[in-house]
Amino acid sequence: MRRGIQKILIANRGEIALRVIRACREMGIRSVAVYSDADRAALHVLMADEAYRLGPAPATESYLRGDLILDLARRSGADAIHPGYGFLSENADFAEACQRARVVFIGPPASAMRTLGSKTRARQAADAAGMPRVPGSVSGLASAAEALQVAAAIGYPVMLKAAAGGGGKGMRAVTLPAEMEAAFQTAGSEAERSFGSSEVYLEKLIERPRHIEIQLIADTHGNCLYLGERECSVQRRHQKVIEEAPSPVVSEALRRRMGEAAVRLAQSAGYVNAGTVEFLVAGLEPANPEPTSPAFYFLEMNTRLQVEHPVTELVTGLDLVQMQIRVAEGDPLPLGQQDVQLRGHAIECRIYAEDWQNGFLPSPGRITRLAQPAGPGIREDSAVYEGWVVPLEYDPMLSKLIAYAGTREATIARMVRALDEYAVGGIKTNLGLFQRILADPDFRAGKIHTGYLQQLLASDATAQSSVAQRQEPEAVPEDVLALAAAFFVASRETPPPASEAPASRWAAAAHREGLRA
Amino acid sequence: MTLWLDIGGRLRKVELPANHATASGVVTCLVDDRPLQVDAQRLTPGLLSLLLLDPPANPTSPDPNSPNPNPPPDLQYRCILDLSPEGDAVLVNGQRAPFALADPRSLRARRGAGAGADGPRPVKAPMPGRVVRLLVAAGDEVAAQQGLVVIEATKMQNELKSPKAGRVARVAAQVGETVQSGDILAVVE
Repeated sequence: MRRGIQKILIANRGEIALRVIRACREMGIRSVAVYSDADRAALHVLMADEAYRLGPAPATESYLRGDLILDLARRSGADAIHPGYGFLSENADFAEACQRARVVFIGPPASAMRTLGSKTRARQAADAAGMPRVPGSVSGLASAAEALQVAAAIGYPVMLKAAAGGGGKGMRAVTLPAEMEAAFQTAGSEAERSFGSSEVYLEKLIERPRHIEIQLIADTHGNCLYLGERECSVQRRHQKVIEEAPSPVVSEALRRRMGEAAVRLAQSAGYVNAGTVEFLVAGLEPANPEPTSPAFYFLEMNTRLQVEHPVTELVTGLDLVQMQIRVAEGDPLPLGQQDVQLRGHAIECRIYAEDWQNGFLPSPGRITRLAQPAGPGIREDSAVYEGWVVPLEYDPMLSKLIAYAGTREATIARMVRALDEYAVGGIKTNLGLFQRILADPDFRAGKIHTGYLQQLLASDATAQSSVAQRQEPEAVPEDVLALAAAFFVASRETPPPASEAPASRWAAAAHREGLRA
Repeated sequence: MTLWLDIGGRLRKVELPANHATASGVVTCLVDDRPLQVDAQRLTPGLLSLLLLDPPANPTSPDPNSPNPNPPPDLQYRCILDLSPEGDAVLVNGQRAPFALADPRSLRARRGAGAGADGPRPVKAPMPGRVVRLLVAAGDEVAAQQGLVVIEATKMQNELKSPKAGRVARVAAQVGETVQSGDILAVVE
């Protein structure tokens, strides 16, 4: 019988719920799944030791109902809750409610979550911890004149941003003082229309920034480690598409500077458990890995396990979910900073049910065919199976396909091979998008930034036929497509012949051998 | 057995030998009357390993008496049947080709008629989802690419646009209704 946590309720669904269930199994901990009405047939339910219905399909009536989840924790006798990512994972009130209910919340204390999870309070904490952040005004600007003053102080180009905003609305780039007046008015009125507040602030515009983040893990004994960085610059509409570790441009010295800054920030807020500090990095190119200017700026902290944690696990050889559980049990971290060694390279592709060649329309529905890749250096964290219906109600991520090899080049080749093996029928996926990106010379050279993918797609759209042209050398002959379709149609119309049952012939042969012996 | 197939908009005639389901090993098939040597191994009902023994891209040596020093390779194709509400397709080495059984006469007739830009055009749901907003009503004049209906799936809202300028003949969707892929939401004439 193990000490500490005996049974964990996983307050999540999909691949991350399955990821936690797997860690529980390996540690001899019982797992409790919860599910909405849309998820009775989901894989996380099938793989758990116990499972309880939460409520109707909408997340607000199921996976976001902290009260119901705590009731189920009591009823099942779970002594801990793992929130996964999304849903309640960054909800400080829920973490507090767990504490009151004497259930261990596998994550940071509510106080650290409040300090570091809120954008404005995290900026103050970053300033206090001496962390560089994007220069600019912290509060709203009263007038275009004030905007001009701030811009003159930090230097052009600058970006006007809606204080209440997000998703690109109410944002205007300003490269010259003459543009300020008009940009200030339009950003303000757009912000008013989108968010009900015309408040805008101003930041220095970081051109072609990279998104690079530091993985942290801290215990309750005052130890905090940085586990290297992840490069997540391949994004679409601020959503990560491909992540890798290590970054192709971060040197050992820069890694240490970013890592130590992230640790300082976490420790200043009493942070415990896994967390990630996100940075914008400017002026780094593969050819110029050591910029002279202070190149990284604090963006935000995610006070939870992240989707892309597997790439860090592969290059560090650590199991982050098991470490989270042990930290939550009160164990000290099993290693020191000098023991953290990065080895090899890992890349993750987020496979979505979406029609990437048709405006990225979501494509939920039944998966009629599923062939998943395997072989050396391939890890897949997913919760799909052939015959499963991708529900309408949640994020359409199907799977995280992760490749690991000795070098970045070998990892890309391995991922391309795995994508070739992958086939999904019945719904559309973005598998082809990854083939496109991984074949791109700029990606292969590590020349990426947060606007990279949008540029790639835009240049493909203008080149129209470029996709067809690129596939030409390996295109399947049309005759083969016709033959394949014909054989499928024909076999639907004629029932398959009675099986020759090779298995039974083997058995008969083995039996004869047995008699002879 | 002779099959007429519409493959990605192109009409193909494929003739399989009568014993195609039971024959193991190599059979001769006719594609648009040209013979092809294939070995089609059905692994599971939707999975086929197709060996093409006489690839069209590599014609064999014209002289049967002098053996070809570089015989064409026996190319192997992994063929997967992809059934979806929008129609059937084959996935061959990652390449997707939609197909349907075709009646050769009607197919030719359809091509002759053109794209039908003059007639009423239905706006169909491109994926299953929930109708969250109607932007037009029956009788409204609309421009091409004007938004008609907003449907939501997997937390994302998508505006479905008019395929042409004209008048909304009818709106078949209701707010809050769950629709399936291919359902007609509105008709523009």
